[in-house]
Amino acid sequence: MRTATLTAADAGLVACEKCDLVSRPVEPAEPGYCPRCAAALESRRYHSIQYTWALVIAAAICYIPANVLPVLTTTALGSVDSDTIMGGVLLLYNTGSWPLALVVLVASVMVPLGKLGALSYLLISVQRGHVTSRRERTRLYRLVEWIGRWSMLDVFVDTFTVALVQLQPLMSVEPGPGVLFFAGVVVLTMIAAESFDPRLIWDASVRSAEARHA
Amino acid sequence: MPDEPNLGNVPQATVVPRSRARISVVWIIPILAAVVAIGIAVQRILSEGPTVRIVFKAAQGVEANKTFLKYKDVNIGQVTAVQLTPDYTHVEVTAKIQKSAAGLMVEDARFFVVEPRVTLSGVSGLGTLLSGNYIGFEVGKSKKKETKFVGLETPPVITGDQPGKEFKLTANSIGSLGIGSPVYYRRLQAGQVTAYTLASDGKSIDLRVFINEPYDKYVTEATRFWNASGIDVSLSASGLQVQTESLVSLIAGGVAFDTSAFVTGTGPVAAETTFTLFNDRTTAMKQPEKAAGRFVLYFKESLRGLSPGAPVTLLGLPAGEVTDVGLDIEPKTKALRGRVDVVTYPERLIERLSAGQAVEGAALAKSVAERHALFQRLVEHRGLRAQLKSGNLITGQLYVAMDFYPDAPKAQINWSQDPTVLPTVPSTIPDLEAKVSSILAKLDQLPYDQIGTDVSKVLATLDGTLKDVNTTLGAINSDVTPGLRKTLDDLQSVIATADDVLKKGVNETLSQVNATLEDLRKPLAAADVALRNADVVLKNADATILGRDAPVQQDLRDALQEITLAARSLRTLMDYLERHPESLIRGKTKQENP
Repeated sequence: MRTATLTAADAGLVACEKCDLVSRPVEPAEPGYCPRCAAALESRRYHSIQYTWALVIAAAICYIPANVLPVLTTTALGSVDSDTIMGGVLLLYNTGSWPLALVVLVASVMVPLGKLGALSYLLISVQRGHVTSRRERTRLYRLVEWIGRWSMLDVFVDTFTVALVQLQPLMSVEPGPGVLFFAGVVVLTMIAAESFDPRLIWDASVRSAEARHA
Repeated sequence: MPDEPNLGNVPQATVVPRSRARISVVWIIPILAAVVAIGIAVQRILSEGPTVRIVFKAAQGVEANKTFLKYKDVNIGQVTAVQLTPDYTHVEVTAKIQKSAAGLMVEDARFFVVEPRVTLSGVSGLGTLLSGNYIGFEVGKSKKKETKFVGLETPPVITGDQPGKEFKLTANSIGSLGIGSPVYYRRLQAGQVTAYTLASDGKSIDLRVFINEPYDKYVTEATRFWNASGIDVSLSASGLQVQTESLVSLIAGGVAFDTSAFVTGTGPVAAETTFTLFNDRTTAMKQPEKAAGRFVLYFKESLRGLSPGAPVTLLGLPAGEVTDVGLDIEPKTKALRGRVDVVTYPERLIERLSAGQAVEGAALAKSVAERHALFQRLVEHRGLRAQLKSGNLITGQLYVAMDFYPDAPKAQINWSQDPTVLPTVPSTIPDLEAKVSSILAKLDQLPYDQIGTDVSKVLATLDGTLKDVNTTLGAINSDVTPGLRKTLDDLQSVIATADDVLKKGVNETLSQVNATLEDLRKPLAAADVALRNADVVLKNADATILGRDAPVQQDLRDALQEITLAARSLRTLMDYLERHPESLIRGKTKQENP
């Protein structure tokens, strides 16, 4: 598939990210402000790759305790039950409700993992200056960005359960430390997706990408 | 508009590119995340206690990740896995112990499943009905760390920190004892049975008892333990004996201990000392016999009622007991005779010597030869013989009595035999029977017929006598009764006369009273008139009372005079009646002027 080779950056122009006005920058290194909406102009987001990498790594670190530590501690009739996300999935699967297990597995395990994988792939491909399947990578990026808002579902359910199931002497539900890390994963991947500059995908050559954003 | 200034020499502002660090601050975020995550991991690892494996015979209600380990009701760990042992005979429970409790995991620590239990001695573990079973823990005393344990099947009765001592008991049978059965000292509960096992040779039971602190010091070398379960009813030649320790022990079984009077001057013994558990108090408190003499007695009479354990007495004092009752064929005559094996305890008899003879007693107690010499002398010269005697006529229990029968045929005693044969004399019970039968025979010879005729004669005489009495009574009836009747008739007529007289008199009197009352009526009528006049006067009083000399005064005065007259005649009457009250009955006597 042929794609347009000329980008605004290649043409020595810069597009405003807020109002999309293409203008001539003051200097390529210091583009100045948008003449129309006075937003700071940036040919490519500042340290986008570094930022995204940092957040992706942070999210990856948080992903481990999020899955190892219990997210929910149920106390029923004196017996205490601590469940991790994976434990919950297995419990649902073992009790026969495998569709529900699948939903939880996809939403809570695979989606965050997929996001981390997708962002890593995008970052690596941009850094290496891959020129193939740029459109697919752009779509992947849009998907990652779109799915981010749904990832907090788990945390939402967790907090709801904790707030609702408080029958003190008989049964109570306490949030586990895992839920904090899980929320951390979701928030960090969302910010990471936001800080990634998809225009980098379209930067033609390795050299130009490296020249600007080493 | 002012002139445009020359701007040619205005310097151009420089744009200084922002100094851009090559490494962004954003890397703080992953570093922070890593620090937090590593921190949590480190904390987890540091707080991780040891993992222990406990093997149970059955782990009822123990579940992985749910069951806790508790010591004094405080969580000290959690079960992480429950699985069968490789040989499928037991259950292996893996538990993660909290770091704070790691020091408790020593060699002799004990684990047990706590579940609701209802036993005769109480109810325990009710709390687990709601919370589920948990694994209980008891501390050990050892210092050596251990991670593999064998769980107890039942919770230990005694907690590790309870002051007291544990002792071992050996018993022939466990009776109705169980774990938790009470141990009594002078009927106070002093401890509990904590465990029992069959001895390795299978011939006895090894029990462990825990004696609580104040009582453990009474466990000395002289202490005897016995089984106090249930009621001990024994019927022997000594009579009926009923023994029980307490109502609880009656149901749940129990052990009692006391100090034997025969052993003296010993202090408390160390824990883990082994004692024998006797079947009953009597056996337990029996003196340990050191010098026991074994004898065999041959009897030609019935041995019915003689059983092992029957007492052997010397002059009525307990001297030993029967150990066996059986048969023997006399070597010479080939006749069958009863054989009674007895054991004698000379110490018991020596003990009963008076204080002044302690020296002789000590000599006897020490030397077997001395005892034998004495015994031989008694048998050969004084006629000491054994005899069966009835201890209880109703139950027919027999015992062996050794007494002196100087008339008994001479006998020797041969110490070389073992057991030594002790000469006997026939029992007096057959004598008694013979006496009874002779009495019966005499009774039989009584002239019952003659007695009968005599009795009938007596009865005939008695009959005659009674008839005489009857005649006498008839005479009395015919002679005395008419006179008596006449007297009675006379009395009756006297009474009738008296009645007539009295009746007449009374009638007369009543009529006189009547007349007197008639007399009374006249003055009363006058009084009536007077009162009427008074009434008239009072009616006119409104009009006539105004003046002192009014005619009404006159009338009033007249009326009053009339009343006065009436009153006077009444007074006269009253006076008369006062002086002659009989006039009310007899009437007015002829007036005599005073």
